[in-house]
Amino acid sequence: MKVSVLQETLAHGLSLVSRAVSPRSTLPVLANVLVATDEGRLRLSATNLEMGITCWIGAKIEEEGSTTVPARTFGDLVNTLAGGQVQMELAARTQTLNVRSATSNTDIKGIDAQEFPPMPVPDLEGGIHLNVADLKEMIHQVAFAASSDDARPVLTGILVTVEGDRITMASADGFRLSVRSAQLSEPAPQPIRVIIPARAMNELARIATDGDETVTMALPPGRGQVVFRLKEAELTSQLIEGNYPDYEQIIPPNFSTRTVIATADFLKACKQAEIFAREGTHIARLNIGGNGELESGQVEISAQSEETGSNETVVDANVEGDSLVIAFNVRYLREVLDVVHTPNVALETTAAASPGVIRPLGDDSFLHVIMPMHLGN
Amino acid sequence: MSIRILPDEVASQIAAGEVVERPVSVVKELVENSIDAGARSIQISVIEAGRRTIEVADNGEGIAPSELTLAVARHATSKLREVADLHRIHSLGFRGEALASIGSVSRMTITSRSRDHNEGSQLVVEGGHIGNLRPVSAAQGTVIQVENLFFNVPARLKFLKSDTTEKKNIDAFVTRYAIAYPYLRFGFEQDGRMGLKTSGSGDQREILGLLYDASLARQMLEIDADYDGMRVRGYVSPTSETRGNRSAITFFVNGRWIRDNALNAALIQAYHGMLMVGRYPIVFLFIDLSPDQVDINVHPTKSEVRFQDPGALFSAVQRAVKRGLLAFTPVPQLSGPPRWTRPTGEWESGSAPNALQANSMAMDIEQGGSQPAATHRDPYAASLDTPMMSSFPLLRLIGQIGNAFLVAEGPDGLYLIDQHAAHERVLYERMMNERQDGIASQVLLEPAVIQLSPEEARMLDEQLPTLKSLGFEVEAFGPYLFRVRAVPAAVVGADPAQALRVVIGDFEEDETPLTSELEARLIARICKRAAVKAGQALRVEEQKALLQGLEGCRAPRTCPHGRPTMIHISLDLLERQFGRKGAI
Repeated sequence: MKVSVLQETLAHGLSLVSRAVSPRSTLPVLANVLVATDEGRLRLSATNLEMGITCWIGAKIEEEGSTTVPARTFGDLVNTLAGGQVQMELAARTQTLNVRSATSNTDIKGIDAQEFPPMPVPDLEGGIHLNVADLKEMIHQVAFAASSDDARPVLTGILVTVEGDRITMASADGFRLSVRSAQLSEPAPQPIRVIIPARAMNELARIATDGDETVTMALPPGRGQVVFRLKEAELTSQLIEGNYPDYEQIIPPNFSTRTVIATADFLKACKQAEIFAREGTHIARLNIGGNGELESGQVEISAQSEETGSNETVVDANVEGDSLVIAFNVRYLREVLDVVHTPNVALETTAAASPGVIRPLGDDSFLHVIMPMHLGN
Repeated sequence: MSIRILPDEVASQIAAGEVVERPVSVVKELVENSIDAGARSIQISVIEAGRRTIEVADNGEGIAPSELTLAVARHATSKLREVADLHRIHSLGFRGEALASIGSVSRMTITSRSRDHNEGSQLVVEGGHIGNLRPVSAAQGTVIQVENLFFNVPARLKFLKSDTTEKKNIDAFVTRYAIAYPYLRFGFEQDGRMGLKTSGSGDQREILGLLYDASLARQMLEIDADYDGMRVRGYVSPTSETRGNRSAITFFVNGRWIRDNALNAALIQAYHGMLMVGRYPIVFLFIDLSPDQVDINVHPTKSEVRFQDPGALFSAVQRAVKRGLLAFTPVPQLSGPPRWTRPTGEWESGSAPNALQANSMAMDIEQGGSQPAATHRDPYAASLDTPMMSSFPLLRLIGQIGNAFLVAEGPDGLYLIDQHAAHERVLYERMMNERQDGIASQVLLEPAVIQLSPEEARMLDEQLPTLKSLGFEVEAFGPYLFRVRAVPAAVVGADPAQALRVVIGDFEEDETPLTSELEARLIARICKRAAVKAGQALRVEEQKALLQGLEGCRAPRTCPHGRPTMIHISLDLLERQFGRKGAI
């Protein structure tokens, strides 16, 4: 293999695929990145067997070939090379990749590309097309609510359902639920219901630049995988097997109090409360309208800790319905308010022991359910 | 005073004391009789933990009217003819004491029809007085109803444990026998509430599924091995499923439930290195050996037995279990199964090998030091040496080693701090303080449903209010099914069902702890889960915060479970070890 490629493109390509590298795997080749010529371009791939990322970069190919080199070493090197052309030449017998740029000359020891797990070219036929900006926002609004605990693997994933021209993503971690839906530009040929690891979705959001206008999502039959194809890159992930809980049941069908608050004010109050919320429990109390000295159009957010002190913030709000005191994990509140983009947000509550629902005002595509907390005795 | 032969009633009451110790003994004797009578179906009904009524009905052979009066006489049995028979017993009973004993301490009604008769007969024995035989109509089989147990032995009545405990014991007995005899249909009612019900299909796994949850029953590894005429078969849990105590380990020898510390130790040895310290497997083992290999006539209740060749048996159990485990569990190294050496005194007294190891470790550190010898035996001694409150030294953090211990310098030498134990202590005291104004609990998005064994379910039922005050909101959801609606905020992140199981494991260890004590124990449990584990790298700030937290504790020297949080190596000891001092 003999190729020459621009340093900036190579560095960018490596940074894209590096997140799929598994440096501590028992399979040494998984710590490597595959470098291969592919139809006039250079292909970079990395996989940890659960998720694989491939990207194609423009290169001048003098001789076809492929090898794998340690991702960390190669990446560190390329990042420090001077800009301009980088020449790479493989000594096939020793699997050593010679990298030359300006005055620098490096030999990197690699592993034969044959040992790299095969990454078959998927069939994108029947895939659905998504708008990148929509997709990134959906992931942003949903992925944080997925569980990081492996006790229930399905909850570490995002449930993606497609019916007709509607795509919905949902995630839950046992205490909160995030649901976001969007319109597809053209209806999907058949309904889809899969659980995709939240980690892979986060990576997808990272590698999908806004320059890519659409992303194609395909489910190659019989492989238990999902493939996202961008213009210059591709992400493949194993699906999570199992039954996702029926989340629609969890969404309360009605409410008795609806509180509309300015998102920014609410978020700021939550951030302050979080500083003082009792360590480890993050409990914050919301006193919604009418109780005691509060005026009916106000919400008081308060938190206290024996060690650090206490904090109360009063936020103006539009409260419809009964007044109520309810406690939440303030971290959950802060995290959802962080991803709400409308100026106002509605909090729907029924009772101190019933779930609270957050909806951006004037945007029906997103909703978030948070289970309340309470103090014993 | 002259020596006299005791009247019959007195003699039989004394004998009854050995056989019928508590309600569960009655259930045991009657069920074993039913099994010996070849019953296909056994219905058990218990009211008020057996104080009021115990009724066992079967469809076995039945007793002929002419033999009924004989059946309730002492040393009357159909299962044994001569002494030599004792060594080849295949039936569960043989002493011929059960009915006589039960009859002498209760009001017992026997209704029975044998296969060869068209008419049944009924006999009432009250406090040892045998009433008149009268004909009644009855289905084939025997129904024995025992009422007012111990009405004439007030001392025994007084020493019965709480109803909960007695019910638990009966539950434990019936469920174990239901598994051991899968071809019999068992039906079990307590206070009119239907409990266990098996189909008699012969599928042990199905019954296991009724007792534990179905997924655990599926995971249980089946073992079946034959060594020199000793057959060891049964079910053992994979290493991922454990309990916090030994109560889920059950042995049946020749169809009889027995307790044997040495067998327990042999079994746990088979799991050695695969389970965490203090965790025990769930095991049902059925050991069949030729009747002359085992002496069951050791104890009237036959819960203890003697083996002819215990070494060979223990080795067989160990090999069988280990083989089953290795076949299903990825274990990196495999060494030849050790031949079991004859147990020494330590095993018989039930002490675990860990205690020995821990002691020898303590000795390693303290050898050459001037610590009193008592420390070797008593883990608490170190903390009792000095008053707890004032003894915490001012520490300067040096760093973390092995991602498990903190090293710090104090005014008088080196301190090693176990990060897990220390964090546990800090969390524990914080949570105990918080308890005053209520423990925060987090409601679950979707309630977690867990299935418990009847024993566990009963215990949980009793403790629901305590659990609630600790932040666990649990409600009954069906027979032996419970729904967890909320968990303490401190355990958020752990699997709610698992967290609750841990807590239930605690109930089992103690019979009736005081509520306040129980709360403290539960909190200790919860903290154990929430605390940083060994193997977790801590940032310098975290390490400092941990030391600071420990300084603020009232009893910083031990974790809530009594293990030391820190070990002190004095400068004096260091100097001696380096040969700078005292090497004269």
